[in-house]
Amino acid sequence: MTQRREFRLPDVGEGLTEADIVTWRVKPGDQVTINQIIVDIETAKAVVELPCPYEGVVSGLLVAEGETVDVGTPIIAVDVAGDVAGGTGPAASPAADSAAGPAAGPAVHPAAGPTVHPAAGPAIDPAAIAAAGPRPSAKDLVPPPPAEERQAVLVGYGVKLGATTRRPRKAAADTRPADGASSRADAMNGSRPASVLAKPPVRKLARELGIDLAGLAGTGPAGSITRDDVQRAAHGPVAPAAGRADRGREERIRVRGVRKHTAAAVASSAFTAPHVTEFLQVEVDATVQAVARLRELPEFAGLRVSPLLLVARALLIAVRRHPMINSTWDEAAQEIVVKHYVNLGIAAATERGLVVPTIKDADALSLPALARALADLSATAREGRSSPADLSGGTITITNVGVFGVDAGTPILTPPEAAILAFGQIKDAPWVVDGQLAVRKVTTLSLSFDHRIVDGDLGSAVLRDLGEMLHDPLRMLAWG
Amino acid sequence: MALVNPTTMGASEPHTSREWHVAVDADGAVTAPGSPASLDGRQGSRTETIQLLTPEGERAEHPDYPLELTADEVKDLYRDLVLVRRIDTEAIALQRQGELGIWASLLGQEAAQVGSGRALGSRDMAFPTYREHGVAWCRGLDPIKLLELFRGVSHGGWDPAAHRFHLYTIVIGSQTLHATGYAMGIQRDGAVGENGEAVIVYFGDGATSQGDVNEAFIWASVFNAPVVFFCQNNQWAISEPLERQSRIPLYQRASGFGFPGMRVDGNDVFACLAVTRKAMQAAREGQGPTLIEAFTYRMGAHTTTDDPSRYRLASELEAWKLKDPIERVKAYLVRTGSANASFFEGVDEEADQLGRRVRKSCLEMPDPRPLAIFENVYAEPSTLLDAEREQYAAYLDSFAGEAPR
Amino acid sequence: MTIMTLSKALNEGLRKALENDPKVLVMGEDVGKLGGVFRVTDRLQKDFGETRVIDTPLAESGIIGTAIGLALRGYRPVCEIQFDGFVYPAFDQIVSQLAKLRMRSRGFVTVPVTIRIPCGGGIGAVEHHSESPEALFAHTAGLRVVACANSADAYAMIQQSIACDDPVIFFEPKRRYWDKSEVDTAAELAAALPMGRARTVLEGTDVTVLCYGPMVRTCVESAVAARAEGRSVEVIDLRSLSPLDLGAICSSVRRTGRCVVVHEAPVTGGLGAEIAARVTEECFYHLESPVLRVGGFSTPYPPSRLEEDYLPDLDRVLDAVDRTFAC
Repeated sequence: MTQRREFRLPDVGEGLTEADIVTWRVKPGDQVTINQIIVDIETAKAVVELPCPYEGVVSGLLVAEGETVDVGTPIIAVDVAGDVAGGTGPAASPAADSAAGPAAGPAVHPAAGPTVHPAAGPAIDPAAIAAAGPRPSAKDLVPPPPAEERQAVLVGYGVKLGATTRRPRKAAADTRPADGASSRADAMNGSRPASVLAKPPVRKLARELGIDLAGLAGTGPAGSITRDDVQRAAHGPVAPAAGRADRGREERIRVRGVRKHTAAAVASSAFTAPHVTEFLQVEVDATVQAVARLRELPEFAGLRVSPLLLVARALLIAVRRHPMINSTWDEAAQEIVVKHYVNLGIAAATERGLVVPTIKDADALSLPALARALADLSATAREGRSSPADLSGGTITITNVGVFGVDAGTPILTPPEAAILAFGQIKDAPWVVDGQLAVRKVTTLSLSFDHRIVDGDLGSAVLRDLGEMLHDPLRMLAWG
Repeated sequence: MALVNPTTMGASEPHTSREWHVAVDADGAVTAPGSPASLDGRQGSRTETIQLLTPEGERAEHPDYPLELTADEVKDLYRDLVLVRRIDTEAIALQRQGELGIWASLLGQEAAQVGSGRALGSRDMAFPTYREHGVAWCRGLDPIKLLELFRGVSHGGWDPAAHRFHLYTIVIGSQTLHATGYAMGIQRDGAVGENGEAVIVYFGDGATSQGDVNEAFIWASVFNAPVVFFCQNNQWAISEPLERQSRIPLYQRASGFGFPGMRVDGNDVFACLAVTRKAMQAAREGQGPTLIEAFTYRMGAHTTTDDPSRYRLASELEAWKLKDPIERVKAYLVRTGSANASFFEGVDEEADQLGRRVRKSCLEMPDPRPLAIFENVYAEPSTLLDAEREQYAAYLDSFAGEAPR
Repeated sequence: MTIMTLSKALNEGLRKALENDPKVLVMGEDVGKLGGVFRVTDRLQKDFGETRVIDTPLAESGIIGTAIGLALRGYRPVCEIQFDGFVYPAFDQIVSQLAKLRMRSRGFVTVPVTIRIPCGGGIGAVEHHSESPEALFAHTAGLRVVACANSADAYAMIQQSIACDDPVIFFEPKRRYWDKSEVDTAAELAAALPMGRARTVLEGTDVTVLCYGPMVRTCVESAVAARAEGRSVEVIDLRSLSPLDLGAICSSVRRTGRCVVVHEAPVTGGLGAEIAARVTEECFYHLESPVLRVGGFSTPYPPSRLEEDYLPDLDRVLDAVDRTFAC
């Protein structure tokens, strides 16, 4: 039982990539022994004798005398008896020894093992690419010369030609980020980081859009805030992907975007600031008349004037009288931060959910300007176009629950504010005037406040002031 | 006999410039350019080369080196020479067949290595370069360990203490300092005396130009260290001939540093044995260093990647073939009737068996595991390396299927 | 245009330099008669003589030290250190003298010595023949350090290095010596890309891969393989290691937002560390992920049967690219 072995032209150490076959010292049919000189090859300057690596019978001379062959080309085939010790040496690499058919001979340079993976895509000549100048095009990707397993270099085995395709990874390939990041992630489990995690470009974006990263819940790895999180906080969610709908008794709606943000905010607010709500019913005939009268004034031409405008104005004046309600509880610093400006938030119900756009420095606005701001703000909010700047920085909020047809509520503070005024519907209701029953326009004001900052005394005083101003709008002139 | 005769090098350029190259012989006599005689240890100059066995196999006597060898001892030396050569030729063939990345052949230098190697006491320490396979043989190191190195399986990986044979040092000349320091350690251990220990360090003619070698000469001399500097002057440092490294015979360098130097016929195993024995004994007894220049020839290439035909003449090689180290011992054995045909056949047969064993061991040599890269870098644990090792192991594990090796 | 090996391109460049300036010398072990162990100096001694192409004694510190002396005398020596692992005996002459003489003399002294060093592994060699010591030299002020990766650059950069009045450590990727590509030997040297500039070898949008010397080809192969996965990888051949072309580097990273540095040298304290620090400093707000480095492990170069595990290859490069996207 014989096995055909091929001997490939080795690198005889002069960096040659090719050599000439000068003289064959054996012919087919000859018995050859290990190390018997079988051929003379000629290199650049010298004739080198090659010793045979096999013992057996020559079955074929694969290259003729006078021919030039590349290193790695099989030059002679020898039929070797049975189970000869693998010419590729290492028992630890069975792949090299597994006969892929009779033509499989030992590689001349065993470290090369089986030939490198054939390229799945077009084979390339990287050297050509490298030399092709700054903008190589597809045509520069020329195929390499016929593959040799190792390229002779003069010293050592020679260069193993690199793989041109990736080794396949296992399905659950671990694509952890660099070590440091993953260990930080591990450390994070179970404890919220003191500071917010966000990559540099995300921070830059947040800054540009005026988003406070501290208010966002991150959806990225390790709870970091992603670009999308910032964008959503700014513009509302991108195309909401359809939640997985359960046919039947339940429906699941994925929580995202504004709703998610709102949920986080109110939950945070409700469970952080101790809320107290006080109620006051107010007779507002005069306000209603004032609104009608204002609409006729040229300064308000084209502007939407509503009772909300006067409620807003009243609140602004109340803030001036009682600045403490326009403040923030700073837990970390153990300070109450009283704001000397009013960014008035007007809660708006939109398709996407509750948003609270703000009018910056509302206390500095004239009544017409305030009207305009209110109108713009609502329109923008309804259209979902409120900018991140619009949606942040508020110092006190009004929520008009009247538009829903209800009288009052227990509004939840917009964090980190100290007070929020809910303004119910104005309706005709029985009212006692000078001891007699009459029908008057009545509304209920609900004021929730942060009891850490505002006690019942102050809250009540504010509510009473508001009631006064809406009952008798001329008060606003006196106090404003 | 001409070593290198530029004027007969043919039409090609002389490989040394004669403009600044004036030869000075042992007595300080200046030889005019063009005459190679002064560079040759044999002709014209007073340079003495110690020889106890001629190329023709006849015993020669030298008053300073009396040597009595029994027939069996000579046969043992012969056997060593033949086996050492056989390892070398098998390794060259294996390289030519792609089983070794490279091999540094000692062809022609067997006598220098076996002679000196057999002169060492069991407690002496040897520091080789990367060509002393004959000395390794004498020290009992399995030749397969050398093949591991040239195959790329390890960088050596044997225990120097186990065979009193240090690892191969590929950077030229570095080991001379190591050997000198080791000898200084012997002094501090008080192991100097008649039963003391000594060190031998091997290096070539080219190495004598390296700073480290000259520093070793200084240290050994000023500290009187028990080290024998054994220079195998095989005439070539890759393509550069001896005259590019020295204007004078190499052994004479020693006198400049203040210790004895002598030249021995490097192809004469008797002389190498006798001279080395004496030098080692002197070192052991506290007489300090000696420089032995074994005048020999690199019959093969610098390594298997070198082509000597590019820079030296075939005629030179032919001339040195006539001085073959093994042939002369054989001739001596025959001449003295100490060995018969069956002895020589027996040695040849043993050589063939050794060749086959070397071949088989080489072909069956397992490749190291990938994670072996991380082993033996430090004595103490290293968290950095541990982490790298884990990461790499995980990385390897992340692939489907076998690595293409 | 001629197709030639990188080794031949160096030979041609040296030849040109010797022709153009009679003060240029070539010196090293086996460079003359033999033409160099890699034939890079083939036939130069034959054509320019032994006075100008010198076979030196076997002493690296001697080569560099005497080259310094020749330079002081007005010559332009081009030294060869036969292998990367043998440069260390000369290290003192290089860092203590060659790098400092200009400053020591307040500019009076020019030492235009070029030191050619074949570097890198992947050739199946024994110890000391596969090192990558470039970081040691890049860390030494006073030296310029360059690495060519293809024949055209080899041809131009060797001439530029010789013409440069500063000492230049010139790294040649020995495993690429036999790679062939085009060289325009008729082109004017003045038209070649300046020595200190990097070259974008492949344009891409997703990640910037920085490399030099023997790794350029590996990275190009990796980038091509990445295309099959839909990743657009930009490969930049740094060419100049000291000084680094930070303009080119940062401009690319600002566009892609991701950066991977690839070199054979060990990662710890390697040139990739300097690059990563600089890129992080200057492109911080553009980085989607940390700058990653692919290189050798923190071990001495292993026996050649293990070098395929040690050296960065296509899979390792693309693994790093993957990791820049996992953040």
